Amino acid sequence: MKTKAPVRSPFTPEQEKELLSWTTKYPYKNMGLIEALRCVQAWQRQVSEPAAAYVAELFDLPLNHVWGVATFFPTFTQWKTGKHRVGLCHGLSCSLAGSSRMEACLSKTLGVPEKTATSDGTFSWETMECLGACEQGPALQVNDRLQGRATQALIEELARDLK
Amino acid sequence: MTRILTEHFDTEPELHEIDVYRRLGGYAGLSKALGMSRAEVVAEVVKSNLRGLGGAGFPTGGKWQTVPGEDKVPGPRYVVANADESEPGCFKDRVLITRAPHQLLEGVLIAAHAIGAKETFIFIRGEYQNQYDVLARAIAQADAAGFTAHASIALMRGAGAYISGLDTALLETMEGKKAWPRQPPPFPTVSGLMGRPTVVNNVETLSMLPSIMVKGGEWFAKIGSPKNGGTVVFSVSGHVEQPGIYEVPMGSKLRDVLTLAGGVRGGRKLKCVIPGGTSMPPLLEKDLDIALDFDAIRAAGTFLGAGGMIVLDETADAVEVAHNIERFLAHESCGQCTPCREGSFWSEEILERMLEGKGEGEDVRNLARIGENITGKVICALGDTVGMVTRAYISKFPEDFNKRVATDGS
Ligand SMILES: Cc1cc2nc3c(=O)[nH]c(=O)nc-3n(C[C@H](O)[C@H](O)[C@H](O)COP(=O)(O)O)c2cc1C
Ligand code: SF4
Ligand code: FES
Repeated sequence: MKTKAPVRSPFTPEQEKELLSWTTKYPYKNMGLIEALRCVQAWQRQVSEPAAAYVAELFDLPLNHVWGVATFFPTFTQWKTGKHRVGLCHGLSCSLAGSSRMEACLSKTLGVPEKTATSDGTFSWETMECLGACEQGPALQVNDRLQGRATQALIEELARDLK
Repeated sequence: MTRILTEHFDTEPELHEIDVYRRLGGYAGLSKALGMSRAEVVAEVVKSNLRGLGGAGFPTGGKWQTVPGEDKVPGPRYVVANADESEPGCFKDRVLITRAPHQLLEGVLIAAHAIGAKETFIFIRGEYQNQYDVLARAIAQADAAGFTAHASIALMRGAGAYISGLDTALLETMEGKKAWPRQPPPFPTVSGLMGRPTVVNNVETLSMLPSIMVKGGEWFAKIGSPKNGGTVVFSVSGHVEQPGIYEVPMGSKLRDVLTLAGGVRGGRKLKCVIPGGTSMPPLLEKDLDIALDFDAIRAAGTFLGAGGMIVLDETADAVEVAHNIERFLAHESCGQCTPCREGSFWSEEILERMLEGKGEGEDVRNLARIGENITGKVICALGDTVGMVTRAYISKFPEDFNKRVATDGS
């Protein structure tokens, strides 16, 4: 008799332990799903279907539920981001402050178009909606941490220092 | 001008530390509240005329009163602090959390006592990782000091969707689902997180509670304007000399906030001011003397929203502005309602074509028509915004729109 093959884990044992911990962190199991997927995105720089399948099994959810969530939220990507995921705000205040000029600067300095990781996987960049730092526009963040006003000097510094 | 939340911001760089916060009277509001009955705490907040500062301006005490008592609905009930702050132009919650995390925690713990919640959550947008760290540290300090004995505080992060900030979509997100707004009723206070009674309040709203407890609802109500108690913190950005947050009493003049922010940059002429975040229709130079509170500003055809004030000078182009906002809304529409999903998409497309110099004769009329066909036919306020924004910019700046459509008579 054939049994269903267990989902092969795309994670390390420590990562599996951390994912498991999110199933018991909140009063209801499913409340940990977004945080678990945030871990996956941080480790693998994307949420792939095998990873979503593993998480689905862990949370006792159908894959289509987890895949629906993974494809709904902008934080989760189906393309592989760079290790340093740079976000440039193009919201209204930042756009008034010259955010489109900084798009050109990012693609020139990092040498890749939007949503494409550099060949060594170090960087990717993308425009984002309001980052809640409109007084420092054009706002720039790296991996969800605000860096401040995007300038050519700041972008060159990040490209040099973050490796 | 009276300041409540930001009173110590200029003089106390270490306010985020629990010892500093306590030296300045912090957590006295909580101990006072814990010595009062729940009903007394709610009554004090009702008296204060505190309004929800997350955008809708709903009276906070009134919202709490709709939570069913434990005699009617036994079992857990929750408080959720909404720190999703994603409306373009708003950043005050970020500053309030960074500078005064304990003020928020104390507010959350007071609200928990008021509705009898033993568990509370702070839902924070994922992009506020620095603020997440500040809060995690502050919660550990509050735990160690014994302030969370009656109710725990847990942190939870979002994943980049603006719509998660809307209370019912926030609850869906917390439950591990797509952030699809629910169609109320029931409202969250009756059926919220996992179907349990849940109070969702904004960071700024909750941060007001410690002072209301210490100084009384009457004191708070007197600071503001009729039915709008206390102060409001504006996030000011765009074409001003000194962008930043400015706390003023409810009912202050738009002109006063503009002056605090140093006025229009470079001495240029004002084109318009978006008062509450990009979802709110803009105000003109002639409106500078209107009072900034939830009710007075409605009379001028716009909303206080979450106080995200964007100032635009004469160099701004209304078509570019409307395009930027519609692009945002099209990106953030959750897609559940056809008029919102399609209306935001087509509004962006038409505006984009106008920007490229390919505007067609019927474009302006079509934009307005799309808007008319959304309002009232969708689940949430994001959809209403799609139509409201284009119609507002067209009616206030028709010349900017008309010059973008072909006028060769063909
Ligand atoms: C599209 C949309 C986005 C919203 N985003 C936020 C938000 O980021 N933060 C917030 O506190 N309220 C937001 N709100 C308002 C919430 O739905 C809710 O009214 C508020 O959190 C209640 O708290 P309050 O009564 O203290 O204002 C949003 C509303 C809409 C329609
Ligand atoms: S109005 Fe728009 S954002 Fe709101 S529920 Fe409908 S589709 Fe989603
Ligand atoms: S508009 Fe860019 S941070 Fe708000």
